[in-house]
Amino acid sequence: MAKRILIVDDAAFMRMLLKDIVTKAGYEVVGEAANGNEAIERYKELKPDVVTMDITMPEMSGIEATKEIMRSDPKANIIMCSAMGQQMMVVEAIQAGAKDFIVKPFQQGRVVEALSKVSK
Amino acid sequence: MDMSQYLGVFVEEAKENIQGLNESVLELESNPESGDAINEIFRLMHTLKGSSATMGFMKMSKMCHALESLLDSARSGKAKVTENMIDIIFLGIDKLTEVVSDIENGEDDSKLDLDDVERAMSNQGKGAEKASKKIGEVEKSDTQTEFGDDIVEEAVKDVAKKAIEDGLSVYMVRVELAKDSVMKSARMYIVFHRIEENDGQIVYSEPPTEEIEKENFETTVELVVITSMKMEKLQDLISNISEIDKVIIKPFETKENEVKAEKKPETHEKEKENQIKKDNKKRRVKLTQSVRVDVEKLDVLMNLMAELVISRSRIEETLKKYKIKEVDESLSQLGRITLDLQSIVMKIRMIPISFVFDRFPRMVRDLSKKLNKKIDFIVQGEDTELDRTVADEIGEPLVHMIRNSIDHGIETEKERIGAGKAPTGKVILSARQEGDSVVIEVNDDGRGFDKEKIIKKALESGIIQEYEASAMSNEEIFSLTFEPGFSTSKKPTEVSGRGVGMDVVKKTIESLNGNVYLESVAGKGTKVIIRLPLTLSIIQALLVEVGSLVYAVPISAVDSTLAIKENNIKDVEGQKTVLLRGEIVPVIDLRLHFDAGAISEKMDLVVTRYKDRKYGFIVDKLLGQQDIVIKALGKLFKDVKEFSGGAILGNGSIALIIDVPSLVQKALSR
Repeated sequence: MAKRILIVDDAAFMRMLLKDIVTKAGYEVVGEAANGNEAIERYKELKPDVVTMDITMPEMSGIEATKEIMRSDPKANIIMCSAMGQQMMVVEAIQAGAKDFIVKPFQQGRVVEALSKVSK
Repeated sequence: MDMSQYLGVFVEEAKENIQGLNESVLELESNPESGDAINEIFRLMHTLKGSSATMGFMKMSKMCHALESLLDSARSGKAKVTENMIDIIFLGIDKLTEVVSDIENGEDDSKLDLDDVERAMSNQGKGAEKASKKIGEVEKSDTQTEFGDDIVEEAVKDVAKKAIEDGLSVYMVRVELAKDSVMKSARMYIVFHRIEENDGQIVYSEPPTEEIEKENFETTVELVVITSMKMEKLQDLISNISEIDKVIIKPFETKENEVKAEKKPETHEKEKENQIKKDNKKRRVKLTQSVRVDVEKLDVLMNLMAELVISRSRIEETLKKYKIKEVDESLSQLGRITLDLQSIVMKIRMIPISFVFDRFPRMVRDLSKKLNKKIDFIVQGEDTELDRTVADEIGEPLVHMIRNSIDHGIETEKERIGAGKAPTGKVILSARQEGDSVVIEVNDDGRGFDKEKIIKKALESGIIQEYEASAMSNEEIFSLTFEPGFSTSKKPTEVSGRGVGMDVVKKTIESLNGNVYLESVAGKGTKVIIRLPLTLSIIQALLVEVGSLVYAVPISAVDSTLAIKENNIKDVEGQKTVLLRGEIVPVIDLRLHFDAGAISEKMDLVVTRYKDRKYGFIVDKLLGQQDIVIKALGKLFKDVKEFSGGAILGNGSIALIIDVPSLVQKALSR
């Protein structure tokens, strides 16, 4: 069965882009969220196999959301979506339990690689 | 990858981000200590930077990055937010606005000129640069003092020996990152983290961790790991991190003598970035899903909806003739459903007026700076919703009116103090819904209009004649300001120009089936009131028969209807009038006005309202109230003012929609 993905990003544009990449690679996008709070809600509701999590978002950052999701499900697979220069935040997210990260601007191959490795 | 399919969403979102930036920077300007505002600016810049880079607009991305770094020192608390800084950011935002509109028009970001912003930054940014260097220096001194090589070497060997004695394994691990991998240190951090998480201990790393943190390495890192894991598991663990090309693991030999080891410093604790914290973190978010739809599709939907309404009316009409009981119920159901559908479609087209209002605070700020007038700009009722098309059209007129208020209305600080007013001028922009219309007001506490001056000016420019002037009501006098070529300002200014404008404002608003008028008290201020219909395409109308034709009067303009007789109509100074509850109401006989031929004895009166005054229309017969779909009359009839459009009725015939203000003006001026 196709792995189920939850896409979290405050930019609809990024969500669309990621969704296309992910879907083309044979994954199923089961939901989207535009901020941390939404991500937590959606995670609980959908129990996705993998979450792609943007870092800077309104309401609640991706890092906070990652912490919260990891608390509720220590097995959660979260891939951070980072921009160049957000090293420190990525590190914090990894400490919080994120499994991997991809860097914007996204390269299709990189995204797919991260997804397949994390969801193994 | 073909990115062009994302262009539309990109542009739209970029615009939203820029609008958000404008708001946040304004907020920051009025409250330079606001960490929230800075964080929000960062977030938006960041999103914009990422999106534009993804779309391949590298210059745009670079601009965002430059602005981001400008604020960096302020965010870390090393520097204060200065006025100059704000100006530069606004300059940058303006450039971004331009480039987005270029992109929207099918160009790219090549026209974006980074020079201005960079120049401005290099003048002021020196302080910021210093601050950021300081941060670097602190980091350096923070790193661990290195042990002497020999001691470390011994230490690693000792540790390794001890571990093997304890039954643990010690491995040499060589990790190669993909060549084009970015953010290598964070990538390596995952490797470290993954190993430590799984009961592994890294006792040595080459290059040392602090060099890794600074990205002072190519692609390869060598580690010595003590763990209880099997070699394969460790291999798997590390290979399953993305962007890692190769992992080579072999057992560590204690003889190994090139080893320069050290304990892995506990540096990552200090790395906690001051991340974006929102104090409203706890707030519940609405979990609504939304879909972005092209406005054109909505227009098509609206048109189809309109056709459906027409078809329904026709079926209704046809079936009524046969009086079939069985269809009554389904027919009324169909009626309800189309009505619901219609209101949903209408709601979809509605957007909050903040869509229009949001750009004004920035504009007012720029104006007040330019004119050196202090302005307190207040926006009220920005949640009020109105039709997207109306919203698109109303922006320009409002820009004009607000400019007028600030340029001509509000006095200079000196004048205001002289007049005993608060030194800061006040401009209030408000919106509210009233029945089927939206009322927008621009209210200022400036110098107001002097009635005498208006009249004088109107006489000079030949808009009115001497004999008219004395008989004019306040309202009529103020309405002169909307006449073409009228301006009370002596000098044209850079901001508002001269005289042209208010008549254009009026024209635009009337083309939207709305109206505008002005109230003013000299010395106290001016209020411009705009009334607009909620929607453009479907209105409720009263259908009337004049001669053999059917006309539609918009319900919003109708006050009441009544049957009258010929002898109720009195002639007052050549004007037909009726007495209605003690009020003398001028009447217009539409049968004569439209040359409807034979005039019958029976007639009805439709009392309409225009500018708070009543006017009666004499018609042959009232037919009833109905939803009609407005269709434009087309270019051929663009000079026809008395009708705002036509509508197709249930029986397929056409009703012309009467534009009450124009008809009243035309009929009474005869």
